[in-house]
Amino acid sequence: MKFVILYGTESGNAETVADDLVDELGTDNEVESVDMTDASAETLSPDALLLVVCSTHGDGGLPASAVPFAELLDTERPDLTGIRYAMFGLGDSSYETYSRGSERIDERLSALGATRVGEYGRHDASDGSLPNDAALEWARNLVGSLDEAQAVAR
Amino acid sequence: MNETAAPPEVLRVAIVGAGPAGCYTAGFLRKRWPQAAITVFDRHDAPYGLIRYGVAPDHLGTKAIAKQFDRLFARDGVTFAGNTDIGTDVSLDQLRADNDVVVLATGLWADRVIETFHTAPGTGAAAPLAGVYGSGRLTRLINGHPSESVEGLTIGRRTVIVGNGNVAADLVRLMLTPADVLASHGVAADVIHALTAGPLEHIDVVGRSPVGAAKFDVAMIRELGRLADVRFTSDAAPDAGAPDAGAPDAGAPDAAAPDAADADGKAAAIRELVAGSPEAAGRTVAFHFGWTPDRVTGDGRVSAVTFTATGAAGGAGTAGTAAGSASLELPADSVCTAVGFTETDGAHISRASVASPRADPDRGRLDDGLYAVGWFRRGPVGTIPANRADARSVADAIIADLEASFIPTPTSLT
Ligand SMILES: Cc1cc2nc3c(=O)[nH]c(=O)nc-3n(C[C@H](O)[C@H](O)[C@H](O)COP(=O)(O)OP(=O)(O)OC[C@H]3O[C@@H](n4cnc5c(N)ncnc54)[C@H](O)[C@@H]3O)c2cc1C
Ligand SMILES: Cc1cc2nc3c(=O)[nH]c(=O)nc-3n(C[C@H](O)[C@H](O)[C@H](O)COP(=O)(O)O)c2cc1C
Repeated sequence: MKFVILYGTESGNAETVADDLVDELGTDNEVESVDMTDASAETLSPDALLLVVCSTHGDGGLPASAVPFAELLDTERPDLTGIRYAMFGLGDSSYETYSRGSERIDERLSALGATRVGEYGRHDASDGSLPNDAALEWARNLVGSLDEAQAVAR
Repeated sequence: MNETAAPPEVLRVAIVGAGPAGCYTAGFLRKRWPQAAITVFDRHDAPYGLIRYGVAPDHLGTKAIAKQFDRLFARDGVTFAGNTDIGTDVSLDQLRADNDVVVLATGLWADRVIETFHTAPGTGAAAPLAGVYGSGRLTRLINGHPSESVEGLTIGRRTVIVGNGNVAADLVRLMLTPADVLASHGVAADVIHALTAGPLEHIDVVGRSPVGAAKFDVAMIRELGRLADVRFTSDAAPDAGAPDAGAPDAGAPDAAAPDAADADGKAAAIRELVAGSPEAAGRTVAFHFGWTPDRVTGDGRVSAVTFTATGAAGGAGTAGTAAGSASLELPADSVCTAVGFTETDGAHISRASVASPRADPDRGRLDDGLYAVGWFRRGPVGTIPANRADARSVADAIIADLEASFIPTPTSLT
């Protein structure tokens, strides 16, 4: 399978998650990891499953590296029909706006026609844990459920 | 073309300071240069600077950012050299001679002092009165810094916290947090005792600016609302911070005016905190806006703190009070100043002493092969994420400078 991991980060946690996902999925698949700041509409392709990993900052706002991507989606409004993506949000439940940053990206992608698949993964930093293990488990479950779905379809 | 030198066999990089700025820089350089020998030095035997010794122990999510950096040392082949003070144990010149690139990420963590509070007027001599503490000392103590001791520290029943930034908010929250909760976050028993023995009945939080220009983040104020058994009050005018209100100095340049929505948000957060707190509670916290510190008084030990109105632009609660025309005297058995950070007196490494005529401070360049990042480069403002953005741009400058000086061959640097 082909994956594009698209991460939005401010303090770096989502980037380390992306690094771990590359290590995990890279042995059997074609994987590319892209900072949202460096993404363009061409980064999104129907051939690849997009894994979006995005944190929340300020007061429920986007992390700094996701801002250019959100603006790009708002101004270029690309047609994302046929694009499949899965979401993993990073946040801290001691904020009222828990994980809202990732939802802002999710809303934009689905409004432009992309389809979300699998469970909406989330990590809560309020207990001092890093998101990496939770994200790996989420990705394994996701890939497992996709394999099953494909097996059924065949 | 022939001016360029061949790249060294192994590129050697030394980073001075294992706080967030130094660690993020190490991470970005490692991504670009997988083979380089990168060492991060710190004067302490434990890394992570103010993430370890500044960030409040109950902010576990923020503290966790340090775990990202563990990967650098455990997995990505970056070396940590603790217990090494550059300037004392190793000279900066020596470090530069041994490395292709040296990055200074030493931060600025000494407490800014209020002259009349911390020193005898005019003499610069040490604290005239017992019971006056800097926030740096308190936050280091709370975080178990190895060279701080609780000796002589008592907070008492009434304290005054000077300053209205996030560090002041951290202190209010931690001082009103139950002892068992502090203990669960690893705060040492003697420190908990010094903070909670009073026990505190009243805290005055006094800032120079009007509420809309206060430095704290709205989330920090909201968090105070979760403390049990605390009544909050504020002397800010009911409409302070609202667009158009409290802006009497129409002639002031726009750049100096706080962003209107932001100001409104801060004022609203304080209003909501006050309105949402119980009428009757065992403890009270009073916010005072627009007051400039004047002096501490007492007999051997502080017993009162005096402020004067900041003036028209600052507005003591209500706008339009002339500077110095009103004063505020608050009884206190201890005083904590949380008014920012500065360069340590007699620091071995200061920006001024190392910058050459070839310096380009905007890109973080101080001299050939010598760079600055983080609080040391920008001054003591901004959160941990701001240091990541800074580290990224300085790392990009280092990479561009270095790679331009080498003959580009496909494998030369990676
Ligand atoms: C009390 C307090 C609470 C804070 N709370 C938060 C928060 O909740 N969230 C947030 O985002 N930000 C917070 N901040 C801000 C944050 O800590 C800073 O933005 C950040 O730590 C600055 O990073 P730095 O790497 O430039 O400096 P520092 O973190 O100060 O790191 C500098 C490092 O250099 C080392 N060093 C200095 N001189 C030498 C030398 N000569 N040789 C060797 N090593 C040396 C020091 O030991 C230190 O480890 C807080 C700051 C303070 C003071
Ligand atoms: C200054 C700051 C503000 C934050 N604001 C929020 C927020 O509003 N909502 C939330 O769910 N998490 C918030 N968080 C928590 C982060 O989303 C969480 O720590 C995450 O792991 C950071 O990921 P990143 O390093 O990829 O940016 C905040 C964290 C910081 C340091």
